[in-house]
Parts: sequence; C-alpha cells; structure tokens
Amino acid sequence: MPLTEPMPAPTYDPETRAALAELLLSLADDEFVIGFWDSEWTGIAPMLEEDVAASSIAQDEIGHARALYELLADLTGDEADRIAFGRAAGDYRHAALLNHARGDWAFTVARRFVYEHADAVRLEALARSSHEPLAGLATKMRREESYHLMHFDLWLRRLAESSGEARSRLEAALARCLPEARSVFTPLAGEARLVEAGILPEPLDALRIRWIERVTPLLSELGLPTPEAQAPEPDGRTRRTDEFRWLHSEFTMVAGSEEGALW
Amino acid sequence: MTHSGNVNAPDEELAMHYAREFYGRRQESNRLWVVPRDAIAELDDPDLLKPPFDRSFKKPGGYIIKHKLEAAKARAVSEESG
Repeated sequence: MPLTEPMPAPTYDPETRAALAELLLSLADDEFVIGFWDSEWTGIAPMLEEDVAASSIAQDEIGHARALYELLADLTGDEADRIAFGRAAGDYRHAALLNHARGDWAFTVARRFVYEHADAVRLEALARSSHEPLAGLATKMRREESYHLMHFDLWLRRLAESSGEARSRLEAALARCLPEARSVFTPLAGEARLVEAGILPEPLDALRIRWIERVTPLLSELGLPTPEAQAPEPDGRTRRTDEFRWLHSEFTMVAGSEEGALW
Repeated sequence: MTHSGNVNAPDEELAMHYAREFYGRRQESNRLWVVPRDAIAELDDPDLLKPPFDRSFKKPGGYIIKHKLEAAKARAVSEESG
C-alpha cells in the first residue's frame, strides 16, 4: 500500500520530469543505502539499548526510501520494488559518502552526524518544494529525522569527550567522512531546471554552504576538524566501491531469487 | 500512569532516547517519565500496604446497602400511609 497520499501528478515537460526523477532517485538511494548499512548493527551494537535504537533508525530510513521510490514510480510509471531492487550496482545514485561499510561505531557515528545534518538542510529546503507530493513527504520525514539528528549529535559529543580510544577513532572517522560528505550536494544534471521550477527551492551548492555553517559550531566546540569549503566532485553520485557492490549483492539477493515476484 | 519497564543508560539524555525506543516507538505512549533508579523511593511494608483489619468498605463492592435500601423504602411507605 502506498505510504503517501495519491495526488494527481503535475504535468511537466520531459526535461523537468527527467530532472525531478533524478532528484527523487538520489534522495531515495541515499536513504536506502544508509538504511541498509546501518541495519548491520542489529545484534552487535555497543549495548543492547543502542542496538534497538540504531536498528530502529535504520528502519526509519528504509521507510523514507520506500516513500521516495513510490513518488518516483508515480512520476515515471514504474514500480517502487523494481527501482529499489531491480537495478545494477552501477545504476544507484547515492552519495559517495555512503559507498563504505558501516565500519566501527565511531565511523557510523561520524558518517551519521555529517549525513543527518546534510539531510536536514536538504529536507528543510524540499519542504518548500513546488512539487507538492515531495513537499508533503519532506515535511513528514523531517518529523522523524529530527530525532536521528539529536541521537547522533549526542553520540558525537560522547565519543569526542571521552578520553583515549573513542576520541582517536572518532577523529580518524571524521578525517574520512568530512571530505566525502560534500558528495551529498553533488550538482544534478537538470538542477537549473529544478530550481527554476521551484521544485528544488535552492541550488544544492547553497545547501552545502548552509550544511558547513550547521556542523561547524559543534565540531569546533569539541576541538574536532571542520569541513572545508571545497566543491563536490562531479562523480560524487556515480562512483562506486567494491564495498557497495557487496552490499548490493546482499540486498538484491532475495528479490533476485524470484524475478518479478510480489513481496 | 503505568510502569513500562527499565533501560540501561549512562545518563538522562540517552535514557530518554532509549526509553523512547523501548516504550514509545510503536506509538503506544503519550508521554514518558524517566527517573534514575536511585531516585525511586520504595514503600514495601506489608503492615502499611495490606493492614490486617477488614478494609472492604473502602472498595465499591465492599459496602452492601441492599438491606438498608429495602428498610428505607419500607419506612417511607409506612410513613406515607400513616
């Protein structure tokens, strides 16, 4: 059953439609891939309580991905399950930040911290989208994402303020995640058109600057490295890793075992 | 207010997050109160909680008024006719 209210799809010219499809696919793939990576903490998180919390947050992200794939499917006349599970690894459009395995707990916390803030900035803008189904979904997603943000701000502080191993692992994780976080704001091919139509209320580059302003105060307060203003690389949403190819083979395994089956 | 259960957490902030996950994520709660274990004052003296004398009159079903009502009705009728 669709998670979003069915709404008459506005008629866009083919270029705008293609650009919107690209935007929806990038949003959905981000949530889908981070949801799958972090679901791997189920059973082995640092403590039982965190196991439940981390798994539940991962599930939330899969739920968001599902709603986004459904919006995309409505737009293109496709099926959400087909889009989610029926593509080759090279056809996914998640940010390069999400190409890596969950790593240790510090890596998960560092990646979540930079990603949650990027996602928050993006959703704030999309809640004002002229594409009403997307504005409605972004508004709804923000209500769940605010808790994710609180949770990983809390964990960042906790690891940063601890002495010894936790702090040094966090620093190493941030050194990997901070430069790659900008890939979330990789310019889209049809972006100018999306901005013109008000579908994307602000260019991704403006959102990236806001993201830097958003994460810098807490990182500075904790004496941690802060992001640099460097622009994202053009292949920020197309380059893939062996780690992702492995994850792709995992999450398509069941769907691939019986092609076309309904779940 | 119902005691939902307990969580292990290093401080109040995480205890709130975990309480939300354990006792609120299925939309089963309207509000959660989280207190540290050592802030709970316990009363378990059976003499105070289950005193030995009959306390049935403190319960709705413990006070039988059927016979008193019948007597009152009979008195009212006899007073009217008298």
